[in-house]
Amino acid sequence: MFGYVNIYKPELKMKDYYKYKAYYCGLCKTLKDKYGRLGQMTLTYDMTFLIILLTSLYESDTVREEHRCIVHPAKKHDTLCNEITEYVADMNIALSYHHLLDDWKDDKSIAGLAGVRMLRKDYKVICKRYPRQCSVIRESLHLLGTAEDNEEKNIDLVARSFGELMAEIFVYQQDFWEESLRKVGFFLGKFIYIFDAYDDYVKDLKNNSYNPLVTIHGKDSYEAECKSMLTMMMAECTSEFEKLPCIIDVDILRNILYNGVWTKYVAIQNERKLKEGKKE
Amino acid sequence: MIIDPYKVLSVQQSATNDEIKKAYRELSRKYHPDSYIDNPLSDLAEEKFKEVQEAYEQIMKERENGYSGENTFYNGGSNPGNSEEESLEMKAVYNYLTAKYYKEALRALSGITQRNARWYYFCAVANSGLGNNIEAVNNAQQAVSMEPGNPEYVNFLNQIQWRNQRYQNTSNDTGRGFGSGNLCCDLWCADSLCECMGGDLCSCC
Repeated sequence: MFGYVNIYKPELKMKDYYKYKAYYCGLCKTLKDKYGRLGQMTLTYDMTFLIILLTSLYESDTVREEHRCIVHPAKKHDTLCNEITEYVADMNIALSYHHLLDDWKDDKSIAGLAGVRMLRKDYKVICKRYPRQCSVIRESLHLLGTAEDNEEKNIDLVARSFGELMAEIFVYQQDFWEESLRKVGFFLGKFIYIFDAYDDYVKDLKNNSYNPLVTIHGKDSYEAECKSMLTMMMAECTSEFEKLPCIIDVDILRNILYNGVWTKYVAIQNERKLKEGKKE
Repeated sequence: MIIDPYKVLSVQQSATNDEIKKAYRELSRKYHPDSYIDNPLSDLAEEKFKEVQEAYEQIMKERENGYSGENTFYNGGSNPGNSEEESLEMKAVYNYLTAKYYKEALRALSGITQRNARWYYFCAVANSGLGNNIEAVNNAQQAVSMEPGNPEYVNFLNQIQWRNQRYQNTSNDTGRGFGSGNLCCDLWCADSLCECMGGDLCSCC
């Protein structure tokens, strides 16, 4: 995915920062053990959030280990793993498989085709184990592709396909918390989709690609409207999150939801200010 | 409905959300069905477990909109409309909405040509229920601008506005926020946000 769902480091306690890193390294290690080097390459920060959220909600037994890894060979690193890590690693592979498949279909990318071939077997096993999630991933991405091909102008309509995909992945099991988890995932998914469109606007314009923000881009209020839409998504997402009885690592979760998700946004704003300053 | 959900969780009404979550965790662990396998008390424990879950859910829903209760539409707060003035089609939409059949409501709404404030309000409720929150705000703004004195429409917008404000406040309190770092400017932004939602934070601007 995109790596937008990240921590805001300056406000995180040291112990929480190391714990976050350990969950991240745990996912990396699980991906490598289950799916090899290629699996490991699909690692992103976004999915670490889901691990911490579900671990906090279900209070799953977590194992702490120390490992060396290829990225940091000199020093041993803590890893935190549990059943949720396995689940999220599987979902990550399913998403990456579809991502590579799209790359191959859209751009005839050879790397995409190679990736698809290597992950196909793993993907089939995951589909058998999680038919509910995998069929929704497939359908949502198909709907998203159709909406994009039709250059859909209603932002809610395009973004909701990605929201529905995330909603399904967030539902680890269908129980008492399903409704809330679904909404947290749905609005976070919409946030990610809209933010990605905002982030890619200039690039899409150059490549003559579809971007859902085209309808509002000409307006003077463009920036304000984007920020307002993104805020609305997080407002709905967090108002549902606050209903879940998450106690463990809640400081990490709140750090991500209330501040971390804006890290890239603030970076883009600062970059623009810098450019404008140079022009003057 | 549980009459006193706070009593079930053994917490004060003034307890913070996090205190309620801790109380819920303790009690749900205590009565969890897994701890009562082959135990004569298992039925009783299961009943208690369900009650604890229900009480927790009820408190969280009540608190969602700043203690103002759930969306008025479902609590009978919405006026079913004057039976003579309201068309049959709009009555059908009203029934869909109270039953939470949002897709059907939107479909029925798209076939109605007379688009008054109430039509936009119904669209807002349906879109909000489906998670189309951008559309919902646009519809609700339209409804309020067509009929600014209608408390039901204004209240609907205020609830969305309240959630946005809560998010931004928490964000500012817990980190850099993503405000401008300038109180005046933030106030101006908040006021503009309120105004575009039909309210007014400070009357001077």
